[in-house]
Formats: sequence, structure tokens, C-alpha cells
Amino acid sequence: MELLHNLAVGFGIALTPANLFFALAGALIGTLIGVLPGIGPIATIAMLLPLTFHLEPTSGLIMLAGIFYGAQYGGSTTAILVNLPGETSSVVTCIDGHQMARQGRAGAALAVAALGSFFAGCVSTTLIATFAPPLAKVGQSFGAPEYFSLMVLGLIAAVVLAHGSVVKAIAMIVLGLLVGLVGTDGNTGGTRFTFGITELTDGIDVATLAIGIFGIGEIITNLTQPRETRSLAAQKITRLWPTREDFERAWPAALRGTALGSVLGVLPGGGATLSAFAAYALEKRWSKNSSQFGHGAVEGVAGPESANNAGAQTSFIPMLTLGIPGNAVMALMIGALTIHGIQPGPQIMSERPGMFWGMIASMWIGNLMLVIINLPLIGIWVQLLKVPYRFLYLAILLFCGIGVYTVSNSPAAVLLAAFFGVLGYVFTRLECEAAPLILGFVLGPLMEENLRRAMRISSGDPAIFLERPISLGLLIAAFALCVLVALPAIRSKREEAFQE
Amino acid sequence: MSLGEGQSNLLVPFLRVLVRRDVLAGLLFIAVAALGLWLSRDYPIGTALRMGTGYVPRLLCWLLLGLGVIVLVQGLREAQDARPLSADDISALRPVIFVTASLVIFGLSIERLGLVVSILLLIGVGAVAARGLRPLETLAAALVLIALSWGIFILGLGLTIPVWPEW
Repeated sequence: MELLHNLAVGFGIALTPANLFFALAGALIGTLIGVLPGIGPIATIAMLLPLTFHLEPTSGLIMLAGIFYGAQYGGSTTAILVNLPGETSSVVTCIDGHQMARQGRAGAALAVAALGSFFAGCVSTTLIATFAPPLAKVGQSFGAPEYFSLMVLGLIAAVVLAHGSVVKAIAMIVLGLLVGLVGTDGNTGGTRFTFGITELTDGIDVATLAIGIFGIGEIITNLTQPRETRSLAAQKITRLWPTREDFERAWPAALRGTALGSVLGVLPGGGATLSAFAAYALEKRWSKNSSQFGHGAVEGVAGPESANNAGAQTSFIPMLTLGIPGNAVMALMIGALTIHGIQPGPQIMSERPGMFWGMIASMWIGNLMLVIINLPLIGIWVQLLKVPYRFLYLAILLFCGIGVYTVSNSPAAVLLAAFFGVLGYVFTRLECEAAPLILGFVLGPLMEENLRRAMRISSGDPAIFLERPISLGLLIAAFALCVLVALPAIRSKREEAFQE
Repeated sequence: MSLGEGQSNLLVPFLRVLVRRDVLAGLLFIAVAALGLWLSRDYPIGTALRMGTGYVPRLLCWLLLGLGVIVLVQGLREAQDARPLSADDISALRPVIFVTASLVIFGLSIERLGLVVSILLLIGVGAVAARGLRPLETLAAALVLIALSWGIFILGLGLTIPVWPEW
């Protein structure tokens, strides 16, 4: 019963007053930004990344994780009440959730969303606790060539599952890898791409890059868009508890959504958004009441809402066990670990069991807090929706500025973030997704290091990647994914899937 | 499309092609790759066994160059006028300029003028980026944000940021 022992250790750490406070803080901030359209978890985590430098690494991670899954809860509130997704992962919840609200069943929709998310959160936390240790063991047997190939596969898979042009996304990865090289080369001591600027010799900080591209870039993008009109479905939420029929229809959907989300979350490029979309498609196809979809089918809320929370949480598995980020949020988590001097990878679990199990236990506690935060306190969050974006962006802008400055008390970092902000806006306009860039940026130095080591093992023969069976398998998988996407039949299917 | 109107007849179709998203994206990637190759021209490359400073950067730049060409070609082969940038995209310079300027000013002033003054500057310049913010509203927002940042960063986290200008 090693698992129970580990969980006991974890709860011991997660239940200390400080960590309870940071779990609550993360859950509250997550709900807040989830409710507010125009600011997402990536930008928020980037802004708060510098703050976590001043915390214990475990507390910092607990808070950042809370923001990520808290946003999944909060996003559904806006989707249901205002027909505006608070987060991209709750886009599909708008369809049936808002219809339910218009029929006066807003309370039931909110409750189903929150309870479904809680159920999914419990299941996926258990999954992490069960499957992370064996996976980390596999990871520990990997050498440099295997690691390099694994990162290649991770990056390629992340691109295939993301939407938009695959070639552009791969180009964004390469761009991220290049940005990651800026600074001093740890092996030779030579400086690269520093333009003679002293501040760049230490490299670009992940927080600076992410705050620029996601935080500031998002502000500019939002300001250039026509002002949205928010029509609050403002009738008082009278009945919070779903009817018996709602329950009977919702729980199988929540079960399917949880299963689907848990699987999709583990895949690179997966996570909350993909899971929610896939779950909605699944429910629509499977349900006996498929004609009701789009007109307030409770399954259309339960499925995707469970799936996005499950997906958000299981995406921690590859990050915690292998050190491979599957999405931009996980890349930032790896950045947070690195800043604390913790090398992400399979050794985390054995070297820092307190941190690993403490974080898992806190996820369960955080989910419990979120149900309470979201259901009885729903009125407070609805009030927040009345804050216009023209005030909100000023606050975001300021916190971006202070956040970047406090990374290393460097004014130059603020200027750099402003530059990345403009770049982020340009990327949005050119329909180049920025998430692959962050993945490349975080993995860049690790990939170069492992490439160098692999070459040293093989005395300079690149064939080593094909001679090692595990490495070969990983590379074949990466290649197969590329071919699959290039096939016209699959391509149209894939576009169709993202259309929905 | 406002762009290109009134230009010579030869220039208009050229500009139409140029403002396609994929064409611009491809050109952006090619430009970055070319810049990278030029910057790394003197970096020692070394061998695969003993990689020099320039080995991986140059490899990646060539890769990016190739990908950029593919994106560019895809953009050129798209149907006529497929998904061009709209006039809105180009005329959206106001937020770009003022958001960037507010951060640059903030970065340059925080160490000399302190938190309070630099926040006032950031909010003042940043508020121009959005339409419809009244001066009084802006001032109120700035005061609230100053109090909030002071509470979180100075009082709560004990960061060593100067609060007032240093004379």
C-alpha cells in the first residue's frame, strides 16, 4: 500500500496552513480569470510566475496548478450565463449551457458543470497518483538519445493535435527553439544571438517571454477587436439543484467526458480545450436525445465540463513524470521548476516526493474548494462580469509590467516583454499559434543538451537515434504522425473536427 | 481593402498577394532565419561529436528557412485573395503603439521615479490605447491600482522596488 502511504505524506504537506492558503488563492484566482473573458490561464500563470520565486517551490506549484484547473470551473459560469466563453475550453459549454439558462435552468446548468468538474477532478487526481510512479520508472531508464527522440515526438504530437496549419506550428516550434538559444551556451561558453546586449547574455526568462506573448499580446489583440456586448442572462438564479431527470441524464455523460478527457489530457498538445470539444462531439453522436443538442441538453454541459477539467489535470502526468510539457501551461510549470533549480524529469518523484505528492493531494483539496467557491458564491462572480474590459486591461497591463520587472529587477526585461507583446499580436493576426513557440522555448536547451550527450555516446554518429530501439520507436511514431496529417483524407477530417 | 488603392496597376495585385496571412507569415519566418544565419556567421560550428556554439543555431535556422519557404509557397498557391489581412488589422496601430509605449515608459521610470509615479505614467499612456476611457475614470483606476500594487508587492511580498522618486 505504497500509494496510500504516499498520499498520506501528500495530504500532510497539502494540509499545512500555508499550502491550504495557496491552494485557495490559486482556486480563487483561477475562478476569477475563468469567469472574466479576455484573460486566460496562460497569461495569468505567466504574470504570477515571478511571484512564485518568492515562495516555496511546492506552494508555488500548488497555486499555479490551482489557477489552471480553477479556470476550467470559472469558464463555464460565463459560458452559461452570458453565452461568452470565459475560456477557450468552455466554448462548447455555451451551446447548451446558455440555452438552459434562457429556459430558466441556469442554476441546474451551473450545478451540473461544477459537480461534473468535481467528479472529473477526483478521478483524474487518482489517475495521476496511480500512473505517475510507473511512468516515471520508465522515464528513468531513458538515456540521452531516447530523451531527445521523446522530445521530438512530444513537440510533433503537440502540433498535430493543435489546430491550424501544421507547417506554421512546426515553424513556431523551431522559432521557439531558436529563442531558447539566446544567451550563453553552457557547453562552450560562447554567446549566441545577444545583439551585444549585456542583459541577454543570461538568456531570456520564460516569464518574460510568456508575459509578453500571452499577456501583453492578448491585451493588444483584445483592444483591436470591436467592443463586445455582454448580455447577462440576468434573471435571478433561483433553483441551484438539478432535477432528478437532469441527474439521470448528466451522470453517464460526466462519466464519458471524464474518461475521454483523462486520455486526451495525457497526450501532448491535449489538455482542456481539445477534451471539451471531443466530449461534446461524442455526446452529440451517442445521445438518445441528440435532437435536443443546441436547445439545452444537459449532457452537452456535463460531458464537456467534466472532460475539460479531467484533461487539464491529466496533462500534468507527462510534465511531472517525464519533464515533457504537453501544452503551454505545463511549459510554464517547467519554467517555474527550473527557476527554483529543480530539474524537471522522472527523478522529481524520488528526489522530491513531498513536492510531488503534496501537489497531487492539493489538487483534490483544490477541487473541493472550487465546488464551494463556484456554487454558493456564484452571485459574486456574476457581479464581476459587470467590470468593463477597459478597466480590466489596465490592471492586466500593470501586473504584466510589475511581474516582468520583478523577475530579475531588470528594466530591460520590461522592454523585452513589450517587444514580445507586439510579436504576440503579429502572430495572432497571422494565425500563427504561440503555444508551440513556448513549448520549443522550454525544451530547446534540454534538446540541445541531450543531442550533445547522444553524440558523445555515439562518437558523432547520428545513426544512434535509429539504433536504439526505444528511440527508433519514438521517432517512427513522430514520423507517422507527420505523414498522417499530410494525408488529405485525415486532413479534411481534422479540419472538420476543429470546425465544430 | 484600403491598402493599395490609388497605387499603380502593377502594384495593386502584388500588394493583394502580400497581405495574405500565410505569405506574410512565411516571409516573417524567412526573415528571422536569414537574420539568425547572418548573426551566427562567425559562430564556430565544430563537428557532430564536438558541437561548437553555432552548430545547433545554424541547423535550426536552415530548418526555419525551409519551413518559411513552404508556408510562403502555400500562401502564394491559395485561391485569389484567400484570407487577406483586413483593413482593420492594419489600422489597429493605436493599441499597439500605446500599449508598447506605456510598458517602455514604465520600464525606464520604475527605478528612478519609483512605483507610484511609474504606475501613473503606465496607466496614463496605456489608457490612450482603448477608446472610451474618461480622464476621471482613468485617475480613479490608477489610484486603486497603486494601492493594490503597494499592498501586494511592497507590503505583502516585501519586494525592494522604490516607492517614491529618488532625488
